Amino acid sequence: MSEQKMIYLQPTPVRIWHWLNALGIVTLCLTGAQIRFPEYLSMFGSYKTAILLHNTAGIVVAVSFSLWFFYYKLIANTLLKLYVPNREELQHGLLRQAFFYFFRYFRGDPSPHHATPDNKFNPMQKSAYLAIMFVLMPLVSLTGILLMNVTPMRELVILSGGLKFLVTGHFLLASSLCAFLFTHVYLATLGHSPMAHIKPMWTGWEEAEEHVEVKEQDRN
Amino acid sequence: MKTEIIKWTFRLLPALALLAAASIALATDAGGPGYSYGGTAGKSGNCLDCHGNAKGIGDRYFIDPVKYGHTSHARIGCPACHDTVGRGHPGDQLVPAKTGCLECHGDKAAEYARTPHAANASCGDCHDPHRVNAPNEISGQEMNRMCASCHKKESMAAKHARWLPQADLHLDMLPCTTCHTGSKNYVINLYIIKREGDRRKGVFRVADFAELEKIAAGKDIRSIIDRNGDNYISLAELGLFNRNPAYGHLRLQGVLTPETVTHNFEILQNRWDCTFCHASGPGAMQTSFIALPEKSGAFRRVAVEKGAVLDTLNGPPDFYLTGASRNGTLNNIGLAIIAGGMVMPVGHGFLRFLTRKNRKGKEHQS
Ligand code: HEC
Ligand code: HEC
Ligand code: HEC
Ligand code: HEC
Ligand code: HEC
Ligand code: HEC
Ligand code: HEC
Ligand code: HEM
Repeated sequence: MSEQKMIYLQPTPVRIWHWLNALGIVTLCLTGAQIRFPEYLSMFGSYKTAILLHNTAGIVVAVSFSLWFFYYKLIANTLLKLYVPNREELQHGLLRQAFFYFFRYFRGDPSPHHATPDNKFNPMQKSAYLAIMFVLMPLVSLTGILLMNVTPMRELVILSGGLKFLVTGHFLLASSLCAFLFTHVYLATLGHSPMAHIKPMWTGWEEAEEHVEVKEQDRN
Repeated sequence: MKTEIIKWTFRLLPALALLAAASIALATDAGGPGYSYGGTAGKSGNCLDCHGNAKGIGDRYFIDPVKYGHTSHARIGCPACHDTVGRGHPGDQLVPAKTGCLECHGDKAAEYARTPHAANASCGDCHDPHRVNAPNEISGQEMNRMCASCHKKESMAAKHARWLPQADLHLDMLPCTTCHTGSKNYVINLYIIKREGDRRKGVFRVADFAELEKIAAGKDIRSIIDRNGDNYISLAELGLFNRNPAYGHLRLQGVLTPETVTHNFEILQNRWDCTFCHASGPGAMQTSFIALPEKSGAFRRVAVEKGAVLDTLNGPPDFYLTGASRNGTLNNIGLAIIAGGMVMPVGHGFLRFLTRKNRKGKEHQS
């Protein structure tokens, strides 16, 4: 094994946030599915349990989303740099990355993108996360919070087009998030080894070079 | 004595005018179909000369002729229940008899007597015999007012909130009887609600006859929704009503109502189970009506096209019962989106598997 350079890619708050959010969103997807299709699904026991779990997870995810936003924007102040793709990335980076995923990857070429703390995400990740974190998450949280307080927030519900419109939006946004989840998890395994990208999210450290086997002691 | 007579003559004059108006109004529906008791004309008329005049008789003895005129009881007449009104009434010191409900509603009374609630409230606590309504012509709100004289709204919301999420919403959208009496079928009644005083910020209330009459501008109030006047609301008509900018201050409120009301007011164990309503199966939520107020305060129902509540585009925008009123087309769109998310793992993963040798070498190169 050659010398390995480790870089500290994911700060602790980000990691806590990420796994809390992941657990929350999986819970929301599953309980949400039972809430919509109670005749077919009952993995959480009663309907009421599903609702209470969904509401709790919803609040946790909404709060953790706000924390994430404030952390990146106010404390780290890297929000825009990390998540908004620049011109170059939009014009060439996206294509380059797509070309890598759908062609060069199969040949065994390394990724054209190298993660650094200042530039963690490749252009495709940036665009996807931008859509998820700045559009989908806020909207799904807002519609969810309105659905949770229909009577107290009746005026807002009416203003936003009615209960039915809100639920429709919530459901379609939720489906999109669920779709994203599959893609996201899969893409995360596309490092030089399946766990290469997933491990840093747990430990914070990423190996800068892409030829080292995953060793158990690297965790923690 | 003389002053007494003059006094009564003065009191009777407005009453007579009212009677004339009332008899014209009543004559229009006397002899209508379905009434085996005949018309109301003459049956209660002379009593209402005095008792139908709020000013003359005072609140205590006032019988609202419009509300009374609508009831089935009007067709049997006052003397059927007050059969001992003396000739010298009201000056004769005789108190007219008041027939109990039991005489004619033995079945209902027997049903009610079997329940523990019979010890808590008698017929008269919930019903005023002079303004009774059939279950399908009374609004959920009005039905809840019967209970509210003893079960206060605030304390009920607090008690139900202990186990029922969004108890305030539930108690607004469900008559108490939906949960506390048994019924085979439930329907959704859509009431037209209106902002108080037409103001932008006014609270919504069920619009009454006078308000809708003004909006209908001389036509039958049904025409507000039923544009072609066929006494049936199609999905298209419903959509036009919901989207009409001129009706910005009007909305439809859906209330899940029992089709029949039994008198066993009790705690039904299966209402703990949210899926009694929130997953009522594909056949449910199909039947709905627009409930229009009448002058008498009763409601008449106009049938709405089947499944209207489930319709995303034309259905009432404010009624959604999670788990029960989901829309099939949207389910498929959602499913397609999720399937889209699988394309990457499945398609890419397959190619990845086929080309695994290419990477194996490189990963261990150095
Ligand atoms: C001339 C006016 C007048 C007419 C007509 C009249 N009432 Fe009355 N009624 C009164 C007044 C005034 C009272 C108030 C109590 C009293 O003085 O007895 C009363 C009281 C009553 C009461 C309540 C008695 C009690 O104390 O609980 C009943 C029941 C009643 N009337 C029924 C009738 C019926 C039925 C008719 C028609 C057959 C009728 N009334 C016709 C004036 C009238
Ligand atoms: C279906 C039976 C029934 C009919 C029909 C009926 N009443 Fe009564 N009425 C009653 C009963 C029962 C009471 C006693 C209510 C109570 O004690 O709360 C009553 C009470 C009254 C009272 C006393 C005021 C009160 O509310 O306690 C008046 C006055 C009265 N009725 C007048 C009339 C008149 C006038 C008519 C016809 C227009 C009429 N009633 C028709 C059953 C009837
Ligand atoms: C003299 C007989 C008689 C008496 C007494 C009587 N009712 Fe009725 N009631 C009728 C008839 C007849 C109908 C119409 C047919 C039916 O629904 O059974 C009716 C209908 C009703 C309805 C349905 C509403 C409607 O307009 O169809 C209610 C509610 C009702 N009665 C309540 C009462 C109550 C409460 C009492 C006691 C205060 C009472 N009735 C006393 C004869 C009576
Ligand atoms: C706790 C309240 C309550 C009590 C007490 C009560 N009712 Fe009712 N009753 C209702 C409600 C609610 C309805 C349905 C709405 C309506 O029709 O007014 C109803 C409906 C009725 C109807 C019409 C039913 C139909 O299917 O047409 C009759 C008749 C009736 N009640 C008679 C009685 C009689 C008789 C008594 C006394 C033995 C009685 N009620 C006691 C609440 C009550
Ligand atoms: C005249 C007063 C009165 C009216 C009107 C009334 N109730 Fe009650 N009800 C009581 C009392 C008293 C109790 C027993 C104390 C309690 O549980 O609050 C009771 C208890 C109940 C209970 C609990 C029964 C149980 O098994 O513990 C239910 C459910 C109920 N009422 C439903 C209704 C509904 C629905 C209506 C209206 C259609 C209604 N009540 C109208 C007085 C009333
Ligand atoms: C969603 C169904 C539902 C609706 C709507 C509903 N209830 Fe209940 N209610 C229940 C159940 C289930 C219980 C038993 C829970 C308990 O004991 O706390 C209950 C309990 C009660 C009790 C006994 C509570 C106690 O602790 O003493 C009363 C009284 C009552 N309801 C009255 C009403 C009235 C009045 C309304 C209308 C304003 C109403 N309910 C609406 C389902 C419902
Ligand atoms: C008797 C029928 C009934 C029962 C039982 C019932 N609900 Fe509801 N629920 C409704 C109605 C009606 C609405 C309001 C729908 C509207 O106005 O859009 C509603 C609304 C809701 C909402 C707001 C979101 C939405 O669908 O609009 C939630 C959350 C909810 N119910 C949860 C529950 C839970 C949890 C239980 C069991 C503890 C329960 N419900 C039991 C009828 C019921
Ligand atoms: C982030 C904050 C969220 C909040 C506050 C929230 C809240 C809600 C609320 C209040 C409801 C109505 C039923 C109930 O009261 O539980 C609901 C329904 C639902 N939610 Fe969420 N939710 C959130 C996120 C999500 C996510 C991330 C998903 C899935 C990926 C999801 C999927 C669903 C589904 C499928 C329904 C059923 C809607 C229907 O009946 O069509 N939700 N949500």
